[in-house]
Amino acid sequence: MTLQPLSARRYAVTVLAWLALWLVVAAAALVLGARVWVWESGPQLNDALRDALYGVATASVVGGALALAGLAFQALLRNPLASPYILGVSGGASLGVILSSLFVSVLVQPIFGFLGALVTVGTVYAIAQRRGRLEPYTLLLSGVILNAFYAAVIMLTMGLVRPETRGDIAYWMMGNIGRFDLQWGLVGVVAVLAVGAAVVFAFLAKGFNLIAVGEETAGTLGVRVERVRHVTFVVASLVTGAAVALTGPIGFVGLIVPHLLRMVVGPDHRRLVPASFFFGATFLVLANLATGLLEGAVAPFPPPPVGVLTAMCGGPFFVYLLRTRWRRTAEVQ
Amino acid sequence: MKADRHIGMLAAGLALLGLALGCSEPEPASPAGGGGERPLRILSLTPNVTEILFAMGLGDQVVGRSTWCNEPSEARALPVVGDTLHMNLNQVIALKPTLAFLITGREEVARGLEARGVRTVTLRSDTLPQMFDSIRVIGRETGREDAARALVARIESDLAAVRRRVAGLARPRVLFAFPMTVGSARIMVAGRGTFVDALLEVAGAENAYPDRANWPTVSPQKVIAAAPDVILVHAVGDEGAPDRVEAIRRAWTGWTSIPAVAGGRVHILTEPYLTIPGPRVGLAAERLAETIHPELQERSP
Amino acid sequence: MAQNSRSPITETVPRADGPYLDVRDLAFAYGAGPPVLRGLSLGVERGRFVALLGPNGSGKTTLLRILLGLLAPASGEVRIAGLRPADYPAGALARRVAYVPQGTSSVLAFTVLETVLMGRSPHTGALGFEGAGDWHAAREALRLTDTERFAERNLEDLSGGERQRVVIARALAQEPDLILLDEPTAFLDIKHQQAIHRLLVRLRDEQGMTVLCVSHDLNLASAYADDVVLISNGRVAAAGTPAEVLRTDVLETVYETRVRVECDEVTGRPYVLPRPED
Repeated sequence: MTLQPLSARRYAVTVLAWLALWLVVAAAALVLGARVWVWESGPQLNDALRDALYGVATASVVGGALALAGLAFQALLRNPLASPYILGVSGGASLGVILSSLFVSVLVQPIFGFLGALVTVGTVYAIAQRRGRLEPYTLLLSGVILNAFYAAVIMLTMGLVRPETRGDIAYWMMGNIGRFDLQWGLVGVVAVLAVGAAVVFAFLAKGFNLIAVGEETAGTLGVRVERVRHVTFVVASLVTGAAVALTGPIGFVGLIVPHLLRMVVGPDHRRLVPASFFFGATFLVLANLATGLLEGAVAPFPPPPVGVLTAMCGGPFFVYLLRTRWRRTAEVQ
Repeated sequence: MKADRHIGMLAAGLALLGLALGCSEPEPASPAGGGGERPLRILSLTPNVTEILFAMGLGDQVVGRSTWCNEPSEARALPVVGDTLHMNLNQVIALKPTLAFLITGREEVARGLEARGVRTVTLRSDTLPQMFDSIRVIGRETGREDAARALVARIESDLAAVRRRVAGLARPRVLFAFPMTVGSARIMVAGRGTFVDALLEVAGAENAYPDRANWPTVSPQKVIAAAPDVILVHAVGDEGAPDRVEAIRRAWTGWTSIPAVAGGRVHILTEPYLTIPGPRVGLAAERLAETIHPELQERSP
Repeated sequence: MAQNSRSPITETVPRADGPYLDVRDLAFAYGAGPPVLRGLSLGVERGRFVALLGPNGSGKTTLLRILLGLLAPASGEVRIAGLRPADYPAGALARRVAYVPQGTSSVLAFTVLETVLMGRSPHTGALGFEGAGDWHAAREALRLTDTERFAERNLEDLSGGERQRVVIARALAQEPDLILLDEPTAFLDIKHQQAIHRLLVRLRDEQGMTVLCVSHDLNLASAYADDVVLISNGRVAAAGTPAEVLRTDVLETVYETRVRVECDEVTGRPYVLPRPED
């Protein structure tokens, strides 16, 4: 796959290429999403562009965040089936938003979502850590426990609230990009966290490669394995929590994008990190565009939320993964 | 509350087919109220039906209500049996009702009640004509056809009064919407053929979104394209709280290309009766008229 | 003795006296279990090829892990070039000491070249960019282990012997002074066993590398190593040249079985024979 060592220049070229791809797709999504050709008046075009721009911006930061988190969790847990939600962070963020939506105004709800994510991070750490070490096995188990717990509490909440609120909760859990009340501030916060995560993981990418080969080997090659694990766990969880607090849990982006990229770019995390960030953004922008284009396709039903579309892609892709790559790696062991 | 009504109205519309196969015209069974011998024991499972029953003077014969039937105030003392999604059947049996009225698309609810010997009548009130029909059906079932006719006449005269007040005024394009849900890009609006649509017409306005029937959810761009002159947002219950109202208002202010937003004609209405197809539609029409035509308020004290 | 583990090697004061690899009175136990090392001491001079022998469970792998800084001893001291493993700044120990583990498995499909380049990671920067120097070192490592022709192939497609040579190449790419190997030829045929041992001898001769090789193969150790250290019950049972250590009485005590030791007329080194007749 790669015949050349990864020099600084080659890296910069890679980053710029993925960035360019995202820019092109984002511009197309903006034009198509706003349907610039239908509007007669300037102000109407402006409003439509604002609406489309918000969708593109949100999809970009959330897609990038989720793809990065997925990649990081797959490296952390040494498990190619890991998604950003595997450790229960999305459950915590969802519960935070859902519970707070019953009491506080819309503007403050994402903060509670993020708080829910933080609580989850702390809880998983408390359950999983043994003598200061975070082992993949115990992390996975803690995630299973927490996910089950959150699912139960969310269902309980849905059973106790008014029927209309039930529908709202279910809708939110599907994951949605656009909003009527544009929250540029929130998007900005998630953007900062996503870019921060990209930078952190770029510095940890070398460690990811070595840890994937073997924990002991990584240690002998100068990697501080436990420190990498701790930082990865915290950063990936926080960026996931922020993304979920903004749009609800959009599924499968965090799982599919790293795998797609591995097929193209190879297993080297130094390349995968920037690729995941930009292509995750590109992917979700495209998915969001697709849902917009489906407007009116199956009248009188509205187009499906983005999370539904990604989940529908995720299922068949999962099957494909299981039947091809999984079998290959299983034979290697 | 709101959703029950909406679910009920939507479901009732969908149940059109089902009911066409079943009992679209309820058979006059045992002429229970024929001479008023035995008092009826009525179970009312939908808020607007409860209001209609009390308005027809049948309040003393209602033995049970759904959770959401809070009007009129006399109804609040009645025992609660749950709602069409979760009904406490033990409570229902204990109340020994002889007649039940409900609006729902869930046939199993009606069947379940019928199986326990309760004559169950499924009504519809998506549109104003359906609402009047339902009043008449209630009148027939309870043997109070005169009261039904009187109620219908009273409502019609209320509406006619509003029509007179707005006659000759300009008819703006009005969008009747509901608050956006958390994280959703779409809002639900009143479409063509709904009774809110009819009330708008009575109130001297034109529905800004006649493209679709019933209660469609629309994206921001659809609203921009519809370019309404007035936007009415119906926020009840928790959504009527001041911070929520403020959030709704702020959500709309960004879309300046919409005439209603630019002209400051986005109104958030919190009166629950605006979307209850019952005896208070006249009041609803009047409230709508006064909001849509502010000049009316200057005329009357 | 400087305690600050962040300072570069030049600032801490290494112990000038003592062998290159200086182990004194090492004691270690896993968790609450029985002690694995009970006061083990040994010294290895630079440029020597030392074979570490001993029965299963005698503590050989544990000793390697402590030398690599992966485990901390309960008591006793380890010094490599005068510094304790914990005193080396991040990555600095990996520039001095390389490790060849027993076997290799990976969940991801890296090529041979990518694998060997991983050995450069103690030398590459924070973002892991590889320069011309790294490229050159990797190529050189491939050449030394005769694996250049596999450079583009996936690691998992190679045979066991070829894979082991690649892992050695990865260790060589670190440009270490000391190379620790854990049973490097355990699953290889005689051809590859000899090839790897010859390579280790070459490295000692051409690059002055210090080699510490854990092994179960008494005869290979005898044939190639300069010194043999025999470990038993967490302590050094015997240390010296192969002729001094590989004696019938010593071996029978440590391994608790009957053996016969003969002398190879050509090399003058002992070789150990089993005794099926008993």
